Amino acid sequence: MKQELDAYAHLDSPLHRWENRYKIAGLFLLAFAFAFVEDVRLLPALVVITAVLFWLSNLPFSFLSGRLKIPGLILFGIVVSLPFLSGSTVLASLGPISIKQEGVMAALIIAVRFVCIITLSLLIFSTDTLVNTLKGMIGLRMPPILADMVLLTYRYIFDLSASFRTTQTAVRLRGFQNNKLSGGKLNTLAALMGNLIVRSYEQSERVYKAMILRGYGMTDANPAALTSTLTDKLWLAAILLLAIGLVSAQLFLNL
Amino acid sequence: MHIPDGLIPATVAIGGYAVAGALTAYSIKRINQSDNAQEQIPKVALLTAAFFITSLIHIPIPPTSIHPLLSGLMGALLGWFAMPAILIGLLLQAMIFGHGGITTLGINAVILGVPAILAHLAFQSFSGKQKLFSQDEDGKKQITRRLQIAGFLAGAIGVGLSVLMFYGFIIFTIPADIIDPAAERRATLILSLSHLPLLLVEGALTAMLVSYLSRVKPELLRGLSEARA
Repeated sequence: MKQELDAYAHLDSPLHRWENRYKIAGLFLLAFAFAFVEDVRLLPALVVITAVLFWLSNLPFSFLSGRLKIPGLILFGIVVSLPFLSGSTVLASLGPISIKQEGVMAALIIAVRFVCIITLSLLIFSTDTLVNTLKGMIGLRMPPILADMVLLTYRYIFDLSASFRTTQTAVRLRGFQNNKLSGGKLNTLAALMGNLIVRSYEQSERVYKAMILRGYGMTDANPAALTSTLTDKLWLAAILLLAIGLVSAQLFLNL
Repeated sequence: MHIPDGLIPATVAIGGYAVAGALTAYSIKRINQSDNAQEQIPKVALLTAAFFITSLIHIPIPPTSIHPLLSGLMGALLGWFAMPAILIGLLLQAMIFGHGGITTLGINAVILGVPAILAHLAFQSFSGKQKLFSQDEDGKKQITRRLQIAGFLAGAIGVGLSVLMFYGFIIFTIPADIIDPAAERRATLILSLSHLPLLLVEGALTAMLVSYLSRVKPELLRGLSEARA
């Protein structure tokens, strides 16, 4: 489980320099404005806005295409079936199979929205380190209990993952083959998973003691203040204008 | 079982955030009312990390393989902590792998979180785990059997409800003018029934996991339950 997200956090671009709180709020609202679009005529605007923002970020295209693969596969089945299953206006037919206009339009809208929103989420999470992005979220009034849990979970995912891989290797070396389901194998998998849960629980007790020793829970343990510039605010205003424009255009087209 | 970005209308996505936000706020309120809430935070965080990793395990069901959801187990072990834990797990999955999405985070949290809370209530009702530390061997065996049944129920409820909600949200949010209502109902039924093996496997896996934990680390079953208000 590589920390690929931080791979391009060191680059220099307007999006990398944009203060995290403003970047998260702006791009998050823009993503919702994209989700609001239901008219094919607005899709080019989504593509242009996304392409410009991605170009400004200096992130490599291969990074984006790699990120689209797995979630894209999940969506592929739905998007491909819609032109055949949905709608009534037949565009083309071959025997009992026909492609319908409404289905094609729905598939197109879903696919474009998906690619554009995934790109925006990549811009939120990959133009700074994950820890800084989480600090930005905390700055946006995320409840402290949730913020502590996010940071701790993220901190230990990679440790526990490495430890779990070692256990899996040990089990394989003892002849366990996870190729066909049986009660015995499910029991072994349950023991494997239970083992990780028990170890993580025991580790958490040590972590808590270490946290207390470092002053966890003290009221004066404030995080470093986040600062913003006029440029950050102007970027946010520009993105909000785009989001409002898209929503207004969709509402106008609905009339 | 994640709804990807762009698939559902913005209104449903916003509604998902509202419900997930309300449930998380209520969960946090319940957690804060307990005596040892602060002590539970690292426990829940590390258990969330463990669930995150174990949910990536492949369980072979030829000709394919599945990943366990573990929402039922999370409900059984974490109680009210399950909702924030699921929200965090989904957020990190969206950030690290791009699974799910940022606009659908709320609705995905509802799809996994609501069944987890119901699984927690079912596990609480059926397990009788308050007697888990009984010294009597016969009593222990009886309790283990009850725990297994409660574990199976929790796992099956977690998956069953999540599957129903997942397909319900996907199919019923496709605009009515592009899909035939009868086809809609048929598709929901077929897709839900096709997940029946998953429900049985996850139920059995949760029962085995609960049984394992009762033997190896019984306080894990008892400890976090005490954090519940």
